[in-house]
Amino acid sequence: MATYPINIWINEERFEKLQKAGLADMAIEVLAGMKVLPVPTTEKQKDEVLKLFPTAKFDTATTKSIELLPRKVKDKIFDLVILKKSLNVMDEFIGSYLKK
Amino acid sequence: MASIIGHGGKDLVERIVSNKEEAKKKIRGLKELPVNRQLATETISIAYGFFSPLEGFMKRGEVDSTCKRMILADGTVWSIPIVFDASNQEVADYNLKEGDTVLLSFNSNPLAIFEIEEVFTYNKAEMAQDVYGTKDEKHPGAKRTLTYKDKFLGGKITLVNLPKVREPFTPYFLTPREHRERFKEKGWERIVAHQTRNVPHTGHEWLMKHAWMATHGELSMEETEGGKAITGILVNCITGEKRVGDYIDEAMVLAQEGLRKYGYFRDDIHMVSLTFWDMRYAGPKEAIHHAIIRTNLGLTHHMFGRDHAGVGTYYHPYEAHRIFKKIPEGSLRITPIFVLEWLYCPVCGEVTSIGLCGHKDKHQPYSGTLIRSIIMDGIKPTLLIFRPEIFDIVAESAEKYGFGSPFVTNEYLEKAPPAFTVEPL
Repeated sequence: MATYPINIWINEERFEKLQKAGLADMAIEVLAGMKVLPVPTTEKQKDEVLKLFPTAKFDTATTKSIELLPRKVKDKIFDLVILKKSLNVMDEFIGSYLKK
Repeated sequence: MASIIGHGGKDLVERIVSNKEEAKKKIRGLKELPVNRQLATETISIAYGFFSPLEGFMKRGEVDSTCKRMILADGTVWSIPIVFDASNQEVADYNLKEGDTVLLSFNSNPLAIFEIEEVFTYNKAEMAQDVYGTKDEKHPGAKRTLTYKDKFLGGKITLVNLPKVREPFTPYFLTPREHRERFKEKGWERIVAHQTRNVPHTGHEWLMKHAWMATHGELSMEETEGGKAITGILVNCITGEKRVGDYIDEAMVLAQEGLRKYGYFRDDIHMVSLTFWDMRYAGPKEAIHHAIIRTNLGLTHHMFGRDHAGVGTYYHPYEAHRIFKKIPEGSLRITPIFVLEWLYCPVCGEVTSIGLCGHKDKHQPYSGTLIRSIIMDGIKPTLLIFRPEIFDIVAESAEKYGFGSPFVTNEYLEKAPPAFTVEPL
């Protein structure tokens, strides 16, 4: 199944949380020691995310990821990852937004 | 005033009436023609000589030779038409005709005298194809051309009211003459342009360092070691039409300035200024246009990176380098400095050039999208890729000027005050 990641940048504080959740290995170094946590989305989830947050874009040229999501949105996705101890959180995340 | 030599070896154009009383006298009784921001910007640029040797908006012959042969009627290299468009309705409403002299106004205040020498039409699709290599509306420059109004007016411009540039841009807007005065004060013999619309990461710093070294070349190093460099870098920020997602101009200018303020470049080496210009994304043709503007500012060299001023996949990444080989020697009075991409290599543990480092499969390239993503997440990057002070400047600019965002949003487009205004005369 194709995935279209949402890249969440990881600082020390977030890395500690990932370690506690047993997900530290999921963070990938991409630039000079800076890590991202790629939260996967399916094509359907990608389309729903882009519809929910019109400022976001799917970067087809370079990173092949969903970019320009508002910071607060990414914070919420990260919090959900920690809570669920899993990267597969997008259905729940989208569902919570659709309910609003 | 002493004459200054600009592009094409011609005297720098300065068509300005700075005495208010004289200006008032000159505009008395003239028919008023309001202009939009873009035309006001280009009017100002013509009058101050950024586009020397142009003395006004192009007439048909100049547009034609620019499009077809990349030269002006007198053979001077020129790559992008500078035109004044008007709708049939405007031509009729204002009764505009050849031989008229009108007063251009911006925001209801006098701006410039326009001597209309020619009213003409031009095939816009042909113009787009010739300049941009495409008629595709997805290309922003081609789109601009295709949406020009029905007619074009050509003729000389004389500025009668100087624009007031707002903060924080005020100290960075320098006319070509003022640029040259600054360079003289600094004692710079060679100056290389870094054209930018970005806030700088360390990859940009290395592009500038590379360009400085290449520009300095065989010159003596003693002055530099003694703290008075004879070669300088001018970061010339392009300020103009913005699109959602671009960096806000305030963040760009202040962050570039921050590199010197916080010592990443020495005071005697580095300088920031801004030029008003709406990017056309014309790739190679835009590279030539940038070279022309910077020649008029008094620069001796110009850095051109990969995919300079390109957009999408319309141009080969090195087309903006190749075009300089097609121009007759001596037609540009500025030397291009071609630079390669800089990136981070985890094996070397440092920022290096793709043209120097052999750990190709380990390279971690900078990408504008990655850097934007880091900034948007509010995660402070490592010193190796983004200077902490620059990150703070970007965050402060977002709060102070960007309605909370360092990137252009719809709110910014609606509410941000214009970069310059024209006050009552």
